[in-house]
Amino acid sequence: MSKKNKIYWFEGVTEKGVKSLLNEEDSKFRWLRPQRNRRVLVVFLALGLILTSMGSYWPTLKNNLNMTGPISGVIYSVTAVFVILAVIGGYSFLLIAVRSIADSPDELLDERQIAVRNTSFRYAYFILGYIILALLILMIFGPELQMFQSEGNDGSYVVIATLFACAALPSMVMAWRERDI
Amino acid sequence: MLFLMSRNPEEPVYNRIEEARISLGLTRQDLADKVGVHYQTIGYLEREEYSPSLVLALRIAKSLNQEVSELFSLTPFKKGK
Repeated sequence: MSKKNKIYWFEGVTEKGVKSLLNEEDSKFRWLRPQRNRRVLVVFLALGLILTSMGSYWPTLKNNLNMTGPISGVIYSVTAVFVILAVIGGYSFLLIAVRSIADSPDELLDERQIAVRNTSFRYAYFILGYIILALLILMIFGPELQMFQSEGNDGSYVVIATLFACAALPSMVMAWRERDI
Repeated sequence: MLFLMSRNPEEPVYNRIEEARISLGLTRQDLADKVGVHYQTIGYLEREEYSPSLVLALRIAKSLNQEVSELFSLTPFKKGK
């Protein structure tokens, strides 16, 4: 009766996990299914990723706005809490909203779902290209903006946000485009 | 804008899956289980928003006890036929 739960290490999903998301209909997460709600989630996550990358700009921004003392700490903390909620929470909800289709192997999906997944990856690849292009432009003009030059700032937040975008973009594209999931 | 790109325009494949399914008293879930796809895929097929592969078309036809040519067509079916 209890079949072994196969783990797909490369995709980072389990057979039972994907099957349960594909088949569930009446769970407490049903509100995530409408396209409008999925799009709100995508905007929320994108905002979180943009704010994460802005972490690299924070030291310069703080100096330029002459923010000193506790106020800068409060702004930083409030933003950090929002970012954690938006990125971690948003990504978790997004995976539920798109039933993990973007991360699932062929053998757990039907032919339409495979087509949807592949199309999402195609668009995500283009978008990632534009993000990398934007980063390149930032690096070129970064010295003028003093974005990557202030002390204690190595641009690591930008790298973290970009890496997270790599993982989340296919699901974000799918959540945005598909009418029914 | 990438998000505004439309899907590739495809030649639609018309079908009578819904009619045949209902005449056999099957739900979308029943048919989906028979042919091994998600029930939403049956919905997409019935709304003619997705064109099935030949293998899936053959499986659906077999499950509905019909010939592929009776279920699928490149031209719209006449109503009531």
